[in-house]
Amino acid sequence: MKTTLNRDGSSKKKVLITSILFMGLSHIIYFKQYVKGLFYALIELLSLLSIPFLAGKIYGMITLGSPQPNIPIKLRNNSMFMLVDGILVLAVIALIIMCYVLSVRSALSEYKDYCITGDMKGNKEVMRSALGKAFPVFGLLPSVFLIVFFVVVPLVFSACVAFTNYSAPQHIPPNNTVDWVGLDNFVTMFGGEATWTSAFTRVAIWTLLWGFLATVTCYVGGLIMAVVLADSKIKIKPVFRSIFILPYAVPALLSMLVWKNLLNGSFGIVNRTLKDMRLITDSIPWLSDVWLCRVVCVLVNLWAGFSYFMLLIMGNMTAISPDIYEAARIDGANKFTMFRKITLPLVLFQTTPLIIMSFTHNINNFGAIYFLTGGLPKVADSTLTSAGGTDILVTWIYNLTVTLMKYNYASVLAVIIFIVMAPFAIISFRNTKSFKDGEL
Amino acid sequence: MKNSFGKVLNRVIVWVFLLLTSFIVLYPLVYVVSAAFSPQQNISALNIVPFGDGFTMANFKQIFKNTDYPLWFMNTLIVATVTMVGTVFVCALSAYVFSRFKFTLKKPLMMTLLILQIFPSFVGMIAIYVILYRINGLDTLWGLILVYLAGNIPYNTWLVKSYLDTIPRSLDEAARIDGANHMQIFARIVLPLAKPIVTFLCITSFTAPWMDYIFPKMVLRSSKVQTVALGLYSFVTDKKNLFADFAAGALLISVPFIIFFVVTQKMLITSLGGAAVKE
Repeated sequence: MKTTLNRDGSSKKKVLITSILFMGLSHIIYFKQYVKGLFYALIELLSLLSIPFLAGKIYGMITLGSPQPNIPIKLRNNSMFMLVDGILVLAVIALIIMCYVLSVRSALSEYKDYCITGDMKGNKEVMRSALGKAFPVFGLLPSVFLIVFFVVVPLVFSACVAFTNYSAPQHIPPNNTVDWVGLDNFVTMFGGEATWTSAFTRVAIWTLLWGFLATVTCYVGGLIMAVVLADSKIKIKPVFRSIFILPYAVPALLSMLVWKNLLNGSFGIVNRTLKDMRLITDSIPWLSDVWLCRVVCVLVNLWAGFSYFMLLIMGNMTAISPDIYEAARIDGANKFTMFRKITLPLVLFQTTPLIIMSFTHNINNFGAIYFLTGGLPKVADSTLTSAGGTDILVTWIYNLTVTLMKYNYASVLAVIIFIVMAPFAIISFRNTKSFKDGEL
Repeated sequence: MKNSFGKVLNRVIVWVFLLLTSFIVLYPLVYVVSAAFSPQQNISALNIVPFGDGFTMANFKQIFKNTDYPLWFMNTLIVATVTMVGTVFVCALSAYVFSRFKFTLKKPLMMTLLILQIFPSFVGMIAIYVILYRINGLDTLWGLILVYLAGNIPYNTWLVKSYLDTIPRSLDEAARIDGANHMQIFARIVLPLAKPIVTFLCITSFTAPWMDYIFPKMVLRSSKVQTVALGLYSFVTDKKNLFADFAAGALLISVPFIIFFVVTQKMLITSLGGAAVKE
């Protein structure tokens, strides 16, 4: 077929329509890029052929199967598989649409090139530049695939489960099916049932308080250590610094389990030591009194977390030019003033994004709570809701899925974490260099 | 005279403060070491004076002979190494693409990564379980590696991309004029220049699997594929308390970590400081 494009740009519409009509069509008939065009056409053909299959999967996701009590369990509709398949299919469709956009954009840019240069690149040249032009596509392929199937699909899935009744004992596949229930779970959590609502309020408040306290204590602790170490003229300073790095180096899982055993109310080393020293007569209920246990959580987290900020702040302090301190000294400032007016503002400014990140990390800090207290001690509603006195949202999600199998409520909590975290995502996004440079 | 008294007082206060903090920091660690070498298995029988029970290597013999500890260690080592190599390769490659190329859908993709990096990946653990079940990845180490790898990508890609943005482009343009293709530029020029951030990435992605509990617990069922974290946790559950075995195992894991961190502390300080500036 002869090329029938005008060079003045008036054929843009024609190229656009042809490329939308069938993926890769305009590459073949206008630009003679047969390999590229056929590749696109193949993608389109495969997608068209699989439409019945894809539609079936999406239909399955909408119905989530029907109860079939009369046939063997293995053959029954498994609602959860149907839901995951449906979301996977949606992801595949999104990838196909991405291909489509890419093909149309590529056709338009080919046409633009043609308008400027007036000749077709043809097959050989395209193949040569393919490695160059397609490099972003091949470079991103592994991450896009991994992220779509192991991050995005699971997140969408758990958001979807929040709107179903997927929970023990009555709605666990493969024995039974699961149904869409709309906002029922949210209603239960936010006022429908007093037990769940009060448990949720308690856990949510403690989660925020915990996130705040854990971040502030670790930051202040790290700051003090960094300043004291930087300021003192002790000869064995490296020894102290190495000691203070230890909590950062020991895996958190291990140190939490060690503390849990040391602080055990009846046989823990701490209580036995205090008793032997005759400082106390009755055991201190470190991990069985709700508020004491919460304090212990924050303190042990301080033990485990101050090293990180100490290292961070030391790194930042070395970057502050000594000239500034010299100038301040000449002006007669004492050490404390220098710290307050120079070190603190500069360090705070540099580490603000990391403080925010640390806060989000602590909100989701599963290990610090789960391995130290396991969410215990029990409170009034613990048997029903599985939320203990020190449980934060993420450990409660874990309990709900693993012990109670109330996946629907766990997903509601996941959605709430999403909503709480979203502003922090925006803040950290606005802090990125790319955003400030106007690249995004 | 008054001034020098103040100086001495100041020094004393600093010393007392540093010694007290060191005591608190070392307190639990001393008991781990003493329990690891103690003949008393249960923590309730452990002497409150460190090393007060005598000294024995029995706990180490015990965990090597009668438990699968060596196997757990190997499994974790495999998972950590493969995750590290995979993370560095995938993240650095996508960071390079994001930093150096203009292409369709670049903005939406970068936004997606940024939004995804705030979620703890275990929020979607039921779906990950079902997906792994579907591709026969349950109870295998590669299934666990895939989960870690995918979870590492969003944040680390941004981290490396921000770093690469600071490396002048003139270097890769010079190489391009000399006839190098994109892959060669990536491997020979960009990666070596990005060494500080790649080292940082190696450390974080290698250490994370040693401490993680939730995903191994979910993905790995049979005892032959357990990781160290799962195994050690099973020593000190509510039902049994093998604190000495736990301490011995924990000590063996922690010592390499501690040596590594203490040796590289100078580099850590600059890395962490640098990461903060570049964010």
